[in-house]
Amino acid sequence: MRLAVPVKAISQRFALPVLVFASVVMIILGKADALLFERIRIIFADAAAPVLAVVSRPAAAVDQLVDRVQDFFALYSENNQLRQDNARLMQWQQLAQGLSVENARLRELLHLAPDPAISFVSTRVIANSGGSFVRSVLVDAGRSEGLARGQAAMTGSGLVGRVTEVGEHAARVLLLTDLNSRVPVAFDGSRERAVLAGDNSNRPRLVYLPEVSAVKIGDRIVSSGNGGIFPPGLPIGVVAAIEDGIVRVEPYAELSRLDYLRIVNYGLNGVLPQPVAPRAVKPRGSAREAVGREPAP
Amino acid sequence: MRAIVARRREWSVVRLVPTLTTLVLAVFSVLPLRFPDYAAVAPLITLGGVYYWTMYRPDLLPPAAAFLCGVVVDLLSGVPLGVSALVFLFTRAVVLPQRRYFVDRLFPFVWGGFTVLAAAAIAFLWLLGSFFEGAMLDMRTVTLQWVLTVASFPAVAYLLMRVQRAVLPPP
Repeated sequence: MRLAVPVKAISQRFALPVLVFASVVMIILGKADALLFERIRIIFADAAAPVLAVVSRPAAAVDQLVDRVQDFFALYSENNQLRQDNARLMQWQQLAQGLSVENARLRELLHLAPDPAISFVSTRVIANSGGSFVRSVLVDAGRSEGLARGQAAMTGSGLVGRVTEVGEHAARVLLLTDLNSRVPVAFDGSRERAVLAGDNSNRPRLVYLPEVSAVKIGDRIVSSGNGGIFPPGLPIGVVAAIEDGIVRVEPYAELSRLDYLRIVNYGLNGVLPQPVAPRAVKPRGSAREAVGREPAP
Repeated sequence: MRAIVARRREWSVVRLVPTLTTLVLAVFSVLPLRFPDYAAVAPLITLGGVYYWTMYRPDLLPPAAAFLCGVVVDLLSGVPLGVSALVFLFTRAVVLPQRRYFVDRLFPFVWGGFTVLAAAAIAFLWLLGSFFEGAMLDMRTVTLQWVLTVASFPAVAYLLMRVQRAVLPPP
């Protein structure tokens, strides 16, 4: 009853049109100047992160329960499968250890600088993205845990996306499949470079390929390390289809069932690279990573 | 004089209940449920909340509150800011004049009204999304989202009805 009645009536009449106008302006501004809204969005995500983290736990618990029930029914066959996998992986481990030793000796011979140190930050996914507009997730780690814009996000299987907005305690990860995602990649065997572009479908496509005809289904795609933010050699996916000259990649990671993500902190801290003699052998990423990778099918 | 005025208005906290419940729905709408492709077809439960409160207590969910809830949904889900706000304001603009035909009817009638509203809202989101991407979005995904949204409404309405009966006195 504080406002005089006529003023209140006018403000009520105009509230709706004014707010509609404000919404339209925000949508247009959001497309024009993405940076300002990113900042607003991440400040809000920071504030909401504790609530989201708590609220998403029951859902995660239910998921785990469902998984456990399913696992129980598949126990026998899964056990067999795991035994076979284990035997195969032990062989790979032996091989990898031998390669690692050989790699170290060769690098020493060539006086190569050591790779920058890689460390991971483990985070949990606390919120999903908004349907068909954007494919991203919120994770519960931020600047205070060492996250920075552009860092790679992975699961155990492969690359999931990159960090786009960072707050103090929360961060947004743009998935590989999002329309705006562009990741520099390379083919595992030939080291040919390309860019993995998402288009809001489940299988992002490869663009800027020098030669589409040289690509085969089953080719392994890894990160190329171009741009210096992603470490080279991170597993991304396999070429799954080539139709009408468009190459589609099936990511290794299951992007619809994300629970825990590792954010890769690819630091250039430590030894500065010494000037080296022209390299005869191009390094294939570190053999340390090979032990963690899945063996080729 | 003051005593009479005090009895006509409810406590201020109680007046915030519709806005608060809608905000709770917004938080729950971005929960990461691990079904394949869930994010693309997640039901718009916040829309159900805005529809319910505009139907039964429009005085407690004014345009400003609908706008605020829309902004919160946009911020949480990574959608361009203002899109959900526009949808919720549109909901209020459409539902308010039609209220009197629905308020005294049984629930299935109200649910039917929501079905139509959800179709319009999702069609608008589909148009906007197609416009931003420069290509038509997948029709099946959109249809499934509509079905899930409509199917989620009874649960949302039931919860909000319990809250309304428990906390808010009849208008």
